[in-house]
Amino acid sequence: MSDTGSVVIETDQGFIHSAGIQLAKFAGIAIAGLAAFIYLLWIIAGDAGSTTSGNAIDVENNSITIALREEPPQLDANRATDASSLVVLAHVMEGLLGYDIDSQLVPGVAERYEIRADGATFWLREDAFWSDGVPVTAKDFVFSWKRVVNPETASQYAFILYPIKNAEAINSGELPVETLGVRAVSDRVLEVEFERPTPYFDKLVAYLTYFPVREDFFNSTEGRYGADADMLLYNGAYLLTEWVHGSTMRWVKNPSYWNRENKGFLDEIRTAYITQDINAKLNLFKDGQIVDTHLLSPMLPTAMEQRWPIDRSMDGSVFYLEFNHRNDRITRNKNLRRALQLAQDSNELVYKVLKEPSYLPGVSLFPAWLTGVSESFQKEYPPVRHQMNVEKAREHLELARQELGLDEFPPLMMLAGDTPISLLAAEYYQQLFRKNLGLEFRIDVQIFKQRLEKMRQGEFDIVLSGWGPDYNDVLTYGDLFSSWNLQNRGRYNSSEMDSWIRIAQSELDPQKRMDAFGEIQRLLYEDVVILPMYERGFSFVVDSRLQDFRRRSVGPEVDYNYAYIDSSSD
Amino acid sequence: MSELSASSFEPIEAHQQTQVISRPSLSYWQDAWIRLKANKRALVSLYIVIGLLLFTAAGPLVWQIDPAIQDIDQISQPPGTDRGATIVADYEPWFGTPGLPGSGLRLAESANSQAVRMQWDALPGANGHRVYRNLFPVGSELAYGIPLAEYLNNDTLYFEDRLDLQPGRFYYSVVALDARGQITDQYQSLTVELERVTTLQEALERGLIETGDSVQIGDEIKLAWHPLGTDYLGRDLLARLMAGARVSLFIGIGAPFLFVLFGVVYGSAAGFMGGRADQLMMRFADFVVALPFLLFMILFKIAFGIGPGESGVFPMLVAMVVLLWPATARLVRGQILQIREQGYISASQLLGANTSYLIMRHMIPNTLGVVLVTVTFAIPSAIFTEAFLSFIGMGVAPPTPSWGSMSNEGIKTMLTTPHELFFPALFISFTVLAFNLLGDGLRDALDARMRNVE
Repeated sequence: MSDTGSVVIETDQGFIHSAGIQLAKFAGIAIAGLAAFIYLLWIIAGDAGSTTSGNAIDVENNSITIALREEPPQLDANRATDASSLVVLAHVMEGLLGYDIDSQLVPGVAERYEIRADGATFWLREDAFWSDGVPVTAKDFVFSWKRVVNPETASQYAFILYPIKNAEAINSGELPVETLGVRAVSDRVLEVEFERPTPYFDKLVAYLTYFPVREDFFNSTEGRYGADADMLLYNGAYLLTEWVHGSTMRWVKNPSYWNRENKGFLDEIRTAYITQDINAKLNLFKDGQIVDTHLLSPMLPTAMEQRWPIDRSMDGSVFYLEFNHRNDRITRNKNLRRALQLAQDSNELVYKVLKEPSYLPGVSLFPAWLTGVSESFQKEYPPVRHQMNVEKAREHLELARQELGLDEFPPLMMLAGDTPISLLAAEYYQQLFRKNLGLEFRIDVQIFKQRLEKMRQGEFDIVLSGWGPDYNDVLTYGDLFSSWNLQNRGRYNSSEMDSWIRIAQSELDPQKRMDAFGEIQRLLYEDVVILPMYERGFSFVVDSRLQDFRRRSVGPEVDYNYAYIDSSSD
Repeated sequence: MSELSASSFEPIEAHQQTQVISRPSLSYWQDAWIRLKANKRALVSLYIVIGLLLFTAAGPLVWQIDPAIQDIDQISQPPGTDRGATIVADYEPWFGTPGLPGSGLRLAESANSQAVRMQWDALPGANGHRVYRNLFPVGSELAYGIPLAEYLNNDTLYFEDRLDLQPGRFYYSVVALDARGQITDQYQSLTVELERVTTLQEALERGLIETGDSVQIGDEIKLAWHPLGTDYLGRDLLARLMAGARVSLFIGIGAPFLFVLFGVVYGSAAGFMGGRADQLMMRFADFVVALPFLLFMILFKIAFGIGPGESGVFPMLVAMVVLLWPATARLVRGQILQIREQGYISASQLLGANTSYLIMRHMIPNTLGVVLVTVTFAIPSAIFTEAFLSFIGMGVAPPTPSWGSMSNEGIKTMLTTPHELFFPALFISFTVLAFNLLGDGLRDALDARMRNVE
């Protein structure tokens, strides 16, 4: 019995042995095969990669590839609000006036214009055509503007047309659309009547909400205007010929554009990537897949190591801490606001905490790039040189405590956006005010839309907020804190401020008008309406072969209208 | 035949044992402890866990640094950075020094980490200037580095750099701009060595010197010591790790312990009772599984009246306990149903064992293996859940740290300052590994079926 048993075991072991060898052979073959297969794939992929890599600039076809921050929701200029729509529309459409390469206001569809106290006249050029060959006429502007103020359109930017007579009343439904103070005297002449004197109207018409829309084409799209490449008529330097939603766009040179000698030198611009991921964009740029990208401070050592030519631009916007001045908030107390003002220093925030080389420490609501009467506004009206003074801040805090009748300050609510910079600044201020004043702040982090909603409802004591310019005039910031402006989220209300803003809006003498802005700036500091944090800028890199690419503070954030390829500077 | 004497009738002395028991009689727990001790990996893990608990509980008593304090002079410093700093006068704004001797791009004052003040003469043909800073020499490809400032006219011929000045060498360049504000090939450069400085007021404020100390301008002092470096706001990483451990371990151990305990009780009750009660209880468990975690987390947060900016750690704990127990309950119920039918249960019932004896002696030890596996998997997942919820703003509120939120912050600067990610990630990994290995060892030690396997 035991003998047979051992024999069985022996054969068993023999079987296992041979099976093991067999298995090992199979495994060896499988691994070798897999390795060969992967190698093959790698070769194929390498080939494919070499044909696509470095195609940011195609010298032969005179085309470039770019990345968009996000996909435009739609391209209806009358209703567009976001930066990406602005970028696309600024290349494929043109308004009455536009900006040249050095950001100076130049004629667009209008060849000349005249602004009076009660209105304006625009004379349109004869050689401005829509992409279907029909001339752009004054009627197209009349139709477009009436559409913007029509409450049914629900354009969020309707307010920018309020200088036009009856626009505000029409938009709030009090008057019929026909009463809007604009009419086409002929195909070539556009007459505008003002609600109040608007000396900066020329700067307004360069904004995309004022772009023309042709009525017969609009009606033929049956409500899908701007939803697709063929649902839009173009009159800009480029034509949008292809729009694959969620992935790519193709802009090609507009052959019938009137100003093609100065604008639109590239045959094709492809927006092959839609990404907000700045690291992904950096890698795309590194691989030569896109022509430009902006850089955040942690990426700068890499950029320096790669020896890239780094450029800078201001994006025009100003960021500040905005107080809630509503009656149920303790931030309505001026001494408390003064205490907070004295306990901080925007230099430290920018130079030591944010560390962005293109940011400027905030000194005023009016950023450094704005022009006053003849030169920089900040030079003509220097903002108060703020000095941090913790002792004085504590005195004001004590005064505030007595005035408010509090034993102890309750925790304050600090509303912040969810961007890295916003979070960083919020955490910095939280600890700064705790250390210097002993005030506790709770940080309420919200996504952009939710933050705007909470600001609208006034659910904050302090909010980290900002404002970007819509047009190239001081007033784009100047009327922010008027009692009637809905963007005045803290509901700051001062009759003195209101009276200065009224003057700034309607005064025709540039000197008196700028003086009013100077007073607004003084009042903003003295009443501590806001605490300026920083003026935002960008460090960016561009492929050295692409010339005359611009990043702008007013208008599209990236502008390829004037860009051309210089293959010699490779 | 021998003679019988009186002595023959004396009782025999009680002497040596007739039978030797080969093993000492050990209780269940003693035996488990012996076997755990024999398991090296488990033992080391146990020490690590004890060490972590000490780190959390006693650490802040030893290292008494407020984790919220921001040392703005030492932002994102890796461990072991030189801390020497020279005292200089307080910062005063500077607008160029008229009539500064020398030519070309030159320093107006000796450069230090407070400010680098430079001045230059208008470059030939320049309509303005742009100032750059680089970590590397400009070189032949004219890589100037980071543009720091731009002047579109020749009125301003000075620049003061205060941006993130760290000790080391910088290469400054000033480049001429053409009429359109574009850079040209005209440039001058300057190499600057920076030393770290601080002011008396800053030193006093940060507690580096006492009010009575006779420290003067020019003296060298040491900046605050941060053994593990600092984070992106200059906060001490060691103090933050200790504070973060409190949150992470509270959630990471507290939540799994509570929901596993509840799951065990619930599951064993269901399994033991069986029948209709079992059916009802398990269908209820299925219902709980279907509830969305995130939604309940938000609901609890509101129900507890926790506003934005306040710590949501407690509702997180409640949400985890309320929603995550069914997995354990199901496992334990299955085990109990199985064990209930085993022969040794019937045997001990025949021998007169009562219910509590059965549960304590047979049921629980036999399910412990499964339960411990659940716990060891639940701890890391709870730590990660906490990290995720803190990231989306549902967990800890700044400035309170947790390991998860620290990792999320550290990953943003992973390439430039890896230590901000490395340390919290290291602690998470060690904790998770230690609990896993310890759980593994405990399962082997506590498993009644493995008792006789040597």
